[in-house]
Amino acid sequence: MSTPQPTPTGKHHAPEPAAAPARAGNGTGAPLVRLVNAGKRYGAVIALQDITMEVGAREVTCVLGDNGAGKSTLIKIIAGLHQPSSGVYEVEGTPVSFSSPREALDHGIATVYQDLAVVPLMPVWRNFFLGNELRKGFRIDIPAMKKMCKDELLAMGIDLRDVDQPIGTLSGGERQCVAISRAVHFGAKVLILDEPTAALGVKQSGVVLKYIIQARERGLGVIFITHNPHHAYPVGDRFLLLNRGSSLGYFEKSQITREELTGLMAGGAELEQLSHELEGEGGTAAEIGRVMEEEVAELGISDHPTTESDNR
Amino acid sequence: MIRSKKRIMGAAVLMAVLLVLAACSATGGRKAFLAAQNGGQSVAAGHANTAHYTVAMITHASPGDTFWDIIRAGATAAAAKDNITLKYSSDPDPTKQAQLIDDAINSHVNGIAVTDPNPTALCPTIKKATAAGIPVTMFNAGYTNWQQCGGLEYFGQDEQVAGVAAGKKLAAAGKKNVLCVLQAQGQAQLEARCAGVKQGLGSEGTMSKLYVNGTDNAAVLSTMSAELTRNKNIDAVITLGAQFALIAIQAEAQSHATAKLYTFDTSAAEIAKIKSGQIQWAIDQQPYLQGYEAVDALWLFLTNGNTLGGGATVFTGPAFVDSSNVDAVAKYAQRGTR
Amino acid sequence: MATTAEAPVAPPPRTDERVGRKSPLARFLARPEAGAIAGAIVIYVFFFIIAPPFRNASSFSSVLYVTSTYGLMATPVALLMIGGEFDLSAGVSVTSAALCGSLFSWWFTTNAWVGVLVALGFALLIGFVNGWIVVKTGIPSFLVTLGTFFMLQGINIALTQTITNQVASPDISTLQGFSSARVVFSGSFTIGGVNIRTSVIYWLVFVVIATWILMRTRIGNWIFAVGGHAPSARAVGVPVGRMKIGLFMAVGFMAWFTGMHTLFLFNTIQSSQGVGNEFVYIIAAVVGGCLLTGGYGSAIGAAIGALIFGMVNQGIVYAGWNPDWFQFFVGLLLLGAILLNTYIRRRAEAAI
Repeated sequence: MSTPQPTPTGKHHAPEPAAAPARAGNGTGAPLVRLVNAGKRYGAVIALQDITMEVGAREVTCVLGDNGAGKSTLIKIIAGLHQPSSGVYEVEGTPVSFSSPREALDHGIATVYQDLAVVPLMPVWRNFFLGNELRKGFRIDIPAMKKMCKDELLAMGIDLRDVDQPIGTLSGGERQCVAISRAVHFGAKVLILDEPTAALGVKQSGVVLKYIIQARERGLGVIFITHNPHHAYPVGDRFLLLNRGSSLGYFEKSQITREELTGLMAGGAELEQLSHELEGEGGTAAEIGRVMEEEVAELGISDHPTTESDNR
Repeated sequence: MIRSKKRIMGAAVLMAVLLVLAACSATGGRKAFLAAQNGGQSVAAGHANTAHYTVAMITHASPGDTFWDIIRAGATAAAAKDNITLKYSSDPDPTKQAQLIDDAINSHVNGIAVTDPNPTALCPTIKKATAAGIPVTMFNAGYTNWQQCGGLEYFGQDEQVAGVAAGKKLAAAGKKNVLCVLQAQGQAQLEARCAGVKQGLGSEGTMSKLYVNGTDNAAVLSTMSAELTRNKNIDAVITLGAQFALIAIQAEAQSHATAKLYTFDTSAAEIAKIKSGQIQWAIDQQPYLQGYEAVDALWLFLTNGNTLGGGATVFTGPAFVDSSNVDAVAKYAQRGTR
Repeated sequence: MATTAEAPVAPPPRTDERVGRKSPLARFLARPEAGAIAGAIVIYVFFFIIAPPFRNASSFSSVLYVTSTYGLMATPVALLMIGGEFDLSAGVSVTSAALCGSLFSWWFTTNAWVGVLVALGFALLIGFVNGWIVVKTGIPSFLVTLGTFFMLQGINIALTQTITNQVASPDISTLQGFSSARVVFSGSFTIGGVNIRTSVIYWLVFVVIATWILMRTRIGNWIFAVGGHAPSARAVGVPVGRMKIGLFMAVGFMAWFTGMHTLFLFNTIQSSQGVGNEFVYIIAAVVGGCLLTGGYGSAIGAAIGALIFGMVNQGIVYAGWNPDWFQFFVGLLLLGAILLNTYIRRRAEAAI
C-alpha cells in the first residue's frame, strides 16, 4: 500500500522498483503519519477520495495541487479538525480518530497555518510561548521565556536582537520561521506546513525552505503543502499530487524529475487540449496555440496521459 | 475535576440561599415602611359609582426625579376614588412631551392633566386637545399663561412668587451670597425660582446659579462640592428639589463648607434633615395635592360640569416647612405623600 | 539532495540588520501609556495655572474621587477592549447592581449584606449573559451589549417602579448592616487634614491587580492574544470563548463593586442613572492607549485616562467657566488628549 506508483511518461525512465517504506520515528517500523485510502464526503460532495500517503521521521512529504484540489481538507483531517469518512488514519502504526486539534497536538502533530497562528501585535517571545507559558507559581517566568525564545530561534538560525519587538515587525518569512521553531520546540513529531511560501518573495521562500530542512534534521516528519513544484522539489522526499479530490500520483523523489512534477502540476493534458483548440481559432490565437504545443512537447507529456501505471 | 467544580458551585449556591433566608433585618425595609403606612393603606377614600373615564397625565418629569413620585401618588389616589383609569407618561424633552400629548388625543381619552414647562412647544398641542373636545387641567408648571393655552384650571404655585418669598427670608437671615442649584437646563419654572430668589434678595445679597446633571447623583455631588470649594464666600445654598438638598449635605461635608442649606419641595428623608437641623427650611408646594386635584377636577367637570378657581390659579403653595412646623408634616412624608 | 548521516550543521546566525538600537526615551514613548501620561501632565499644568482652587490637596482629593468613580469601571472595560470586545451595558449595569442590592434587601427586609451578595450574583450573571451571547452567536459585542443596555435600562426603571412606586430606590439606611457596608464600600479617611475616599484606594488596588494579570500571568498573555488575533489564539489551544466570557464577567464584578459604593454612599439610587457612562469608560481606555480593535493597551493607561477625565470634570468648575459650556469642553479636552496620544505614538514608532 505504501508503494508509490511509477512515472506515467515512460519515455525517459524505466519503471523503478518499489521504494523503501517511510522511516519510523519510534523504532516500531511504522511511519509517523499514514493515510490509507482516506476519503472525506460532505453529504453528496466528495472532497477527497482514495488518498494514500505517509511521512516518517526525518522525511518531507510534499502535497501538491492547485486551488480546489482538496489540500485543505487533507490538512484538516491530519490536524484533527475533521475525521475521514472512509479509509484509515494511522499515527505511529495505531489507527486514530481525533475529535479536536488539541488531541492531534497531544499526539505530536502540529500544524502551522498560512495565517500563521501568530498575533501580530504581541512580542515575539509572547507569541512563541502562547498557550505554553512557563510559570513560576502564579506568575509567568518572563526572563526564562525571553532567553529560551532567543536561544531556540538562534538554534534555527535567526538572531533577533530584541525578542520584545512585536512579531508583526518581522518579515513574512521570519514569522513563518518563528512559528515553525515554536512547533519544533514544543515537541512536535510531525509538522504540517500549510502553504508557507505562498505569500512570500523568492528570498523569503528560500529562508523557509531552509527551515523545513532544519526541522527535518531535528528528527521531525514534515508534511509540506504547496502549489509550487519548484519549492517542493528541492526539499521533498515524497510527492503526493492532488487534483479535484483525487490522487494524480504519489512518487518517491527518485521516481520523478522536477520537470515531470511541474508538468503534472501544470495539467499537461488540459494544456494540450487547449493548444489544439487555440490552433483551430486561427490568427494570433493559433500562434499562441502553436507555442503552447511546443512547450507541452518539451515537458514531455504524451497525447494520452494517464494516472494509472503505464507499464512500458 | 469538573465534578468537584460542580460540587463547589452547588455548595456556594446553597450557602447563599441559606444566608439569604437567615439574615433578616430587625429595622427598616419594607416591614417598617408598611408599618408606617398604618397597616399598608395609603390615602384612600372609597370608590365612586360614576361612569368610568380614562385620564392621561403627562408631565415633564426627568428620569429619576423623586418629586414626581409624590405627584403621581396624589393622582393615583384621586383616580382610584373616581373610578378613573390613569395613564401616566412623562418626558423632560418638550418636543417629546408634546408627542405624548398627541398620543393621548389620538387615544380619545376623556381628560388630560398636563404640566407646561415650555409654553412655546406645548401650548399648540394643548389647544389641539381642547379643540378635540378633551378637557385639560394644568398643574405644577406653566403658571404664567395657562389660560391662553386652553386649560380649564391650574393647580400649583407661582414659582416666581415662591422664589421671592424665599429670597426675602434669606435676606432676613442675613445671607449675602446665595448659590441657586438648578438640576436641569432650559426649564422655565426652575429659572423662575432662581430669578425670584434674586429678586427677593434685592440689594441685600447676590445670587449665582449652578447647573448640575440631575440624573446622576455622583455628578451632582462632585459639581456642588467643587463649586463650594471654589467659592468660599457662599453662605447659603438653595436647591430646587428634595433629593438635591440631601446631596448638598454631603457636598458640604466633602468641601468643608459652612453655608446653610435651604430647598424647594419636600420628601421624607429631607423632612428628617430639617428636624435634625441640617436643612433650615423647605418650600412646600404640596405636589400630592397638585396631582390629586388635577385628576379630581377633571372628574368633577366630566360628571358635573364643575370648575374650580373661576379662571384663576388655584394655589397649592408656597408654604415654608421649618423646624417649628415640621412635625405636622413628618408623618405624612414618611409614607411618601408629602 | 540526499540527506547525509552526519549531524546537521546549523546555518550561521543571521543578525537582523534592520532592527536598530532604541534609546530609552524612545522605548518609553512606545509604551501604550506614554501619550496618556503626556496628556495628563498637560491638563494638570493647564488647570493648575488657570484655576487657583485646583492647586490645593483637598481639591485634588475631590478630583481623585471623581476619577475613581470612572476608573473603577474603566479598568475592566480596558481589559475587555484589549481582549477585543466592547460592553455598552457597563454604565447601566452599575445601576442595576445597586438597585438589585437595594430593592432585594428592602423588599425582604434583610440585612443589607444579603442585598450585597444577591447583587454580586446578579452582576456576574449580566456579565455571563453578555459574554455567552457574544461567544455563541458571533454577533459583534457592540450590538449584543447595546441590546442588553436597553434591556437593563428598562428593567432598572420598570422594576423600581413596580416594587416601590417610585423612580428611585427606597431608603435602606435603617436596615441592619447598612453602616458596616457603608464603611467597607464608601468610607473615607483623613491624612494630613485631607479627606480621601476609600474608593480611590480601591481603584488603585484594582489597577495594580489588573496590570499584574495582564503583564505577569498566563491569562494576561491570553487576553492579548484573544484580542490581537483570536483565530491564532484558538489554533494554539487558548480557550477563546471562556476567556471572553470571563472578561465580560470581570466587567460585571466591577459593576457590582462600583454599584455597592454608589448605593452605600447615596443610600437611594435613581433608577435612570448610569446612562452615558459606558462611553466615558471606553474613552478613558482609548485615551490610555487601548486600541479599539483590541490586542493592545494597558490598565494603567485607562487609569490615567480616567484621571484626565476627572481633572477636566472638576477643573472646569474650579476654573469658574460657564457651566453651559461644560459638555463642550469635556469633549474638546478629551479629543485633544487622544490626538496627543496618537501623535506621540506615531513619533515613537518613527524614532530611532
